[in-house]
Amino acid sequence: MDIQNTQSQMRKGVLEFCILSIIRQGEVYPSDIVEQMKAANLYILEGTLYPLLTRLKNAGLLTYRWVESNSGPPRKYFLLTEKGVAFYSELEHTWKELADAVHALTQPPQDPITNTLEPQL
Amino acid sequence: MKKVININFQGRIIPIEESAYDLLKQYVESLTNFFANEEGRDEIINDIEGRIAELFGETLKKGTTCITDDDVNRVIDSMGRPADFEAEETTIKSKLADEQQQQQGNASHEQQEQSFTNNEPKRFYRDENHKVLGGVCSGIANYFSIDPVIVRVIFLVTAFGAGFGFLAYIILWIAAPSSASKIIGSQRKRLFRDTEDKLVGGVCSGLAQYFNTSVWVPRLLFLIPFISVVFHTSRFIWWGFPHFLSSSFIPGTFFIYVILWLVIPEAKSTADKLEMKGEKVDLRNIKNTIQGDLEGLKERAEKFGSELKERTQEWGKEFGETIAHKGKQMGAEAAAASKKNSRDLGDIIVILFKVCAYFILGIVLLSVVITLFGIGVVFTGLLPAKEFVIANGWQNIFTWGTLLLFVWVPIIGIITFLIRRIAKLKGNSGLIRYSFLALWLIGLFSLIGLIASLRNDFHHNNHATEEQMTLNNPSVNKLEISTLPSLKYYERRWFKIEPFAEFDEDTVFVQNIRLRIVKSTSDSFHVTMVKLANGKTKDAADTTAALIHYNILQKDSTLILDKGIALTPNNKFRNQHIILTIAVPLGKKIKVNGTIWNNTTNFSMDWNENEWNLSNYYIDQMEEKWRNNVEYIMTAKGLERVDQRKDEDEDASPENSIENFKKSKEQILKEKEQKLKELKEIDRQLQLPTNDPKNNNQAHPPTKVEKQKTQVSASATMNYPSRRALNNDLVFMRFSI
Repeated sequence: MDIQNTQSQMRKGVLEFCILSIIRQGEVYPSDIVEQMKAANLYILEGTLYPLLTRLKNAGLLTYRWVESNSGPPRKYFLLTEKGVAFYSELEHTWKELADAVHALTQPPQDPITNTLEPQL
Repeated sequence: MKKVININFQGRIIPIEESAYDLLKQYVESLTNFFANEEGRDEIINDIEGRIAELFGETLKKGTTCITDDDVNRVIDSMGRPADFEAEETTIKSKLADEQQQQQGNASHEQQEQSFTNNEPKRFYRDENHKVLGGVCSGIANYFSIDPVIVRVIFLVTAFGAGFGFLAYIILWIAAPSSASKIIGSQRKRLFRDTEDKLVGGVCSGLAQYFNTSVWVPRLLFLIPFISVVFHTSRFIWWGFPHFLSSSFIPGTFFIYVILWLVIPEAKSTADKLEMKGEKVDLRNIKNTIQGDLEGLKERAEKFGSELKERTQEWGKEFGETIAHKGKQMGAEAAAASKKNSRDLGDIIVILFKVCAYFILGIVLLSVVITLFGIGVVFTGLLPAKEFVIANGWQNIFTWGTLLLFVWVPIIGIITFLIRRIAKLKGNSGLIRYSFLALWLIGLFSLIGLIASLRNDFHHNNHATEEQMTLNNPSVNKLEISTLPSLKYYERRWFKIEPFAEFDEDTVFVQNIRLRIVKSTSDSFHVTMVKLANGKTKDAADTTAALIHYNILQKDSTLILDKGIALTPNNKFRNQHIILTIAVPLGKKIKVNGTIWNNTTNFSMDWNENEWNLSNYYIDQMEEKWRNNVEYIMTAKGLERVDQRKDEDEDASPENSIENFKKSKEQILKEKEQKLKELKEIDRQLQLPTNDPKNNNQAHPPTKVEKQKTQVSASATMNYPSRRALNNDLVFMRFSI
């Protein structure tokens, strides 16, 4: 089994969830999304972000607004639609469940039995 | 020193170095290619372009005068290359890993290849970077780590030797993946029919796009068998056509074309067209990824000069179109996509009819061209004979006009038209067409003039008069006819013209000599000669006839004749003929040596008025049938062979003789019996008293020769149906132009 494949499977859902959560906080410009994710130590290429945004937009989760900029042509600012908000809250719910489950499974309870078993593993 | 250009990029005016612009263009093209199958492709690219423009704007705000290669590369790095997107989709990358990835992307193509071959089992790829035709040879060379030249030579030798290499190349070309398939994006390359560049159905141009070759290559491959059909059916085979092409490919290519036409979808949308041209974009993708190779590629571009320039121009046009039609095509494509794969029966029938029509048209056109070409060659080949036939002045001008304008102009015109049609050259063809037509009309008038002029020159025939040749001792027993052996020390045979026995620069000999053998009314040989010619008037014809210089020389019992009638540029061909009549007395022998007499092609220009009416002229004399190199004896019933064989025996073809042999085995036995009977009868008659009225009124007993003669006549009479029929066989063969 290819580790990279598994990693990408894990990442894909999370990436969308992260992007949606950033947009949920208010209208954003794509490069701001990249910056915010960078700050959170999650790296994404802008070239990857734009297609993702477009896909989400086409799915009706996002919408955008042209905002005049100081320099040059207007910029596209993204925001969540009602559907997007609902989608996000479901994702959030799922994520919480998943995080708990993952946490529960990957962080085993600190009891002596498992501690003693550890070397055997 | 670098050239800076201003571009309008997403609504911003951006001064950019030309090389940086190339990089940017390639990058955007690689994106277009990467997102070709993406639903919101145009929007994504638009967004990315917008962001790039913004980043450029920021760079320019900092005070730089223009965007450089480094700026573009920095922006591309932050946006990510298609290769990175793919990686992004398959793996999470830490910042470190990301950098590594980009370094890899920046690494040279060769290195990439190296790592590829190191990591995976060696595979055979067509080498797109070092290709001549399809990269098969260089691919093989790469695989075995040898010089591609060696492989190419081997392929060429086998291709022209047995044709094997040719087939193998095609198969490998189709079967082996391109080295470009290792670079992202090319997997998306699909086979479409290129209707923008179509001749029939766009199959060839689509194939050319797919295999990234010139459109000529598939077209030629499809056409070669068609051409070979024409070459095989026409009689002008100047060079041997590889046999396998004609035998196995003729129906093959036709059906393959039809099938491909039906199967391959038409490239309708921009996405289709880009997918179709995937390879081209790849080239830029490579260029984009390999910055280090850029200079090298530029050198290459200079080296290949116009070709690459053309491609970039083409590409640039497309690039412009892609942006311009972005919005409009979105809707159109969506509509087209639903229809794309539905093709009803009616379309198929129409296509089949079209293919058939084009096929027939192609064959007909090629036949016409080749026939015309053949005619042209024949006419040009006759040119050396011109001065012996064509009078100076108008007739000469008409001849040249006919040859150049009437014969060659349409040939050149049709060939030019076909080439222009196939090459899709469009231009000021109206002017060319009309000038060709005008020239041809002049040619047509020349032909009419020539025919009229020649007809006039050949209009009348002369008053035929018989000349008696005096023989030294006409009562000789046997007469042999032969010709002087021609003294030929060299042979010039670039084009053989049959009617002329010998061809010199100032003299030509026409073999218009007819030898007739008749029965003599007296007991000695007689030779009479009739000279015939045509002319504008009776007088002119008489003069021409009188000018015929024909020698007959007697040497003992041999008559030595000239081989032909001499013509010079001053004494032109006006249907000069000689009819030589040799009267053979009863019981005397005659033999005609040489080969020319009976096989003489009678070279003449015939118009209705001037045909020789020989049967009227010699109505009183029965002409004998004879062969060359056979000794004959004149009997009361005509010429008989001395060696008792029948003339017909030699006529029999091998098949006939075998058949005859089987058939006539019994007959021969019967004949043998009959002959034995006859012999007995003759013997009996010989012993009879000489006053027997039945025995040929001969006073003395027949000699051995006469005995033989009687016997011959007895058997020969059975085989000759009638003398009349034989005479009918002697029809003049004519070679007319």
